[in-house]
Amino acid sequence: MVMVTKVPPRPAPARRALRLLLAGGLAAGSLVVAPGTVQAEDGKSGGTTLTVAVSQSIDSLSPFLAQKLTSTSIHRLAYEYLTNYDPKDAHTIPGLATAWTSSADKLTWTYTIRKDSTWSDGQQATAEDAAWTFNKMMTDPNAATANGSFTANFAQVTAPDPQTLVIRLKKPQATMTALDVPIVPKHVWEKVTDFSKFNNDKQFPIVGNGPFVITDFKVDQYIKLKPNKKFWRGAPKFDELVFKYYKDGDAAVAALQKGEVSFVPNLTPAQAAALKTQKDIKVNDAPGRRFYALATNPGAKAQDGKAFGNGNKALLDPEVRKALFLAVDRTTLVDKVFQGHAVEGEGYIPPRFGSYFWKPETAQERAYDPVRAEKVLDTAGYRKDAAGKRLGKDGRPLEFRILCHATDPNDKAVGKYLQEWWGKLGIGLKVECLDSVSDPWVKGDYDLAFDGWSVNPDPDYVLSIHTCGTLPATPKDSGATDNFICDKQFDGLYAQQAVEYDAAKRADLVKRMQSRLYDTGYMNVMAYPNALEAYRTDQIRSITTMPEAAGNLWGQDGYWSWWSAVPAAQAEDSDGGSSTGVIVGIVAAVVVVVGVGAFLGMRRRSTADDRE
Amino acid sequence: MTSLAWERRKGSVARFWTSYRTRRAGLYGLAGLVLIALLALTAPWTVGSDVQSVTEAPGTALEPPSAAFPLGTDQFGRSLLGLLIWGARISLLVGLLAATLSVAIGTLVGIIAGHYGGWFSTVVMRITDWFLVMPTLVLAIVLATVMSRSMWTVVLAIGVTSWPTTARLVRAQTIAVESRPYIERATALGGGHRHVMLRHVLPNVMPLVLAQTTLGISTAILTEATLAFLGLGDPTVVSWGGMLQDAREAGAVSSGHWWYLAPPGIAIALVALAFTLCGRAVESVLNPKLGVGR
Repeated sequence: MVMVTKVPPRPAPARRALRLLLAGGLAAGSLVVAPGTVQAEDGKSGGTTLTVAVSQSIDSLSPFLAQKLTSTSIHRLAYEYLTNYDPKDAHTIPGLATAWTSSADKLTWTYTIRKDSTWSDGQQATAEDAAWTFNKMMTDPNAATANGSFTANFAQVTAPDPQTLVIRLKKPQATMTALDVPIVPKHVWEKVTDFSKFNNDKQFPIVGNGPFVITDFKVDQYIKLKPNKKFWRGAPKFDELVFKYYKDGDAAVAALQKGEVSFVPNLTPAQAAALKTQKDIKVNDAPGRRFYALATNPGAKAQDGKAFGNGNKALLDPEVRKALFLAVDRTTLVDKVFQGHAVEGEGYIPPRFGSYFWKPETAQERAYDPVRAEKVLDTAGYRKDAAGKRLGKDGRPLEFRILCHATDPNDKAVGKYLQEWWGKLGIGLKVECLDSVSDPWVKGDYDLAFDGWSVNPDPDYVLSIHTCGTLPATPKDSGATDNFICDKQFDGLYAQQAVEYDAAKRADLVKRMQSRLYDTGYMNVMAYPNALEAYRTDQIRSITTMPEAAGNLWGQDGYWSWWSAVPAAQAEDSDGGSSTGVIVGIVAAVVVVVGVGAFLGMRRRSTADDRE
Repeated sequence: MTSLAWERRKGSVARFWTSYRTRRAGLYGLAGLVLIALLALTAPWTVGSDVQSVTEAPGTALEPPSAAFPLGTDQFGRSLLGLLIWGARISLLVGLLAATLSVAIGTLVGIIAGHYGGWFSTVVMRITDWFLVMPTLVLAIVLATVMSRSMWTVVLAIGVTSWPTTARLVRAQTIAVESRPYIERATALGGGHRHVMLRHVLPNVMPLVLAQTTLGISTAILTEATLAFLGLGDPTVVSWGGMLQDAREAGAVSSGHWWYLAPPGIAIALVALAFTLCGRAVESVLNPKLGVGR
């Protein structure tokens, strides 16, 4: 019953590996110089290469398993989906299907498959391939891992002729023109026996029909793609597209400055400010598609009704949650932590998705008001003791934990602010930063958590994760639920929007769902972070953002950025990248070396008579 | 009797100081240490704990050095000079505690192994060898990862991974001490294991332990900074390694904000250097081969 788009990534990928490498010596010098030591690319081999710095690991190259943003972005490039999103305003446009109609009873959808799409091994892509892909996901649970929820409501999928695909539904489904499922070539994939183990990363090039063909892959090193010259929308302009791994953000920026990579996503405000002043580099600061929120544990429950986890009981009181959220100054967070590169959080879906964007009415809004927060707590019976600590109903001081992603600097920064704001209310906060928060999260062992999801043009998925249906079956399982919210009213609205084909009516329902979610008071959306990214204008002459006016380049809903990128006329001037950082690093290194040298010299003198 | 013992101790301290004074490097190190310790201890009055506050930060993000902020500001607008002084407290404290813990474990293991000898010693020393060949940093990272993030975790992680060298040294010294005839006499007069270990062996290995601790502190401070830099420290506590980690996360390296990176790095190097200078001087004064520390 739940229709799920691809699982958007949890915030910020791990950055640990390079940091460990850097650990060798901690002299100030080695830190600063290290990023500059990234090896220059040797395999230029004539043609134009577009190199993109990435940090998130690939979970799988099999479209049936891949869920992370990097992997799904690459599948966008390598496979066609039935439909695509327009780069201007994200409305549905033809992909592998050129046209689609639904029957009067809304239960049968007929897609016309294009004739001019061929697989990279020369075979024609047909409706048979699409039918096989969907049927596989419907019959083999292992093939339904990543996108199975799209097909959960499918009754039957057939291909009466090579140009016609017919999908029969059990009940109406609003996401039928937003089926983000890569269609794979049947003649290649029918040989696969175990879909849970097949990662599609042994035989290259990988047969596909998207604008690019994956030609090589090394775990956490690179993914190489070549343009598909026969792509029906037109071949990409670059001769090669390489996703190169930089687990360290500063190393990636240094590589950009030296011209080793053409594009770097996920910049910090300081990096963006520094890059803005450099020649041949363009910084793109666009409204993002993520929300960044505080989530409270609403008392984790499984579908069988059993409660689990050790969430603080005080948070079950709506007044406590209200007071906490009232004391969060979102404007300051946007100004200080994001340094203006974010939009203040309001409802749930980012303002970028205009038709679904909703913000609270004045009456229901929880605007920043620490005085009111104090009052709310006082009225609710949480008194301060002599030491200024707020006491819970059990007479013990209120003290919460917050789960933070150790790899996300924003989590730690916001944590510092929360500690001080809530500290003034007399409430203690312990910031627990972990590399992987999923263990305590799934077990319900948290009080509060930093939460964030990328939102797709179709909001179905990010809404579905707050329905009761996504709770784990038993306390031992893990469900698709975000943070164990289960609200009958919200579920009712969700079921209504899922079958609503009228766009305006559906948008209205989606807004009402957000209003309800806001009123439950389990989540506080603090900000919508911008996409901060930079590229070299002496390597990329032009590139399409999405939305076309002030949009992002990395993690688009479609292949527009890399497909549209036009190489700049080859102009060889690098070596402009000897930044102040490196100079300072060398100076610091010299200071350390001189210090150690002097020390050794003196030591030699002082213990000369001791040595034998 | 007690006054006699006091007299003797006073004498040996005086002798120690006379000898230490002749070592110039040791004096430099000591002066540096006293200065840094004073700065750290008086921090609550000079900079105040408000320096850590993000909500009441006086400056704007990443300001370059100026008259108001001699070392500039961090990404929250806090004064970096203030943070540097405040961070000295944690860095020094962790260094001291971790080195003490490490040397305590090492001394205990060393004396017991050296005293009992035989198969027991062999087994204990093989365990020590195992810890010795294990890369300290890797083991500390594993420990700091599995335990919750706090200052005590870091102390524990450094302490339990860096004791083997001390254990080996102390064991050797214990064996040397116990081969002397007066130990045999003490045993003949009815001194038990505990008496021998505590009354005769421990005071004799103490100089070695002291030197080892002083040297260990600089290693511990470096390891603490490394762990904090790798993001394994307590993110809510200001320390030098943590400052470097914050700087990296803010992108200070690639954006050329040297005033954020250089001071904590140089501070770590200087403190480590000062402790090493002192430790070497103490070691050379108390070197048992010269028979001074007895």
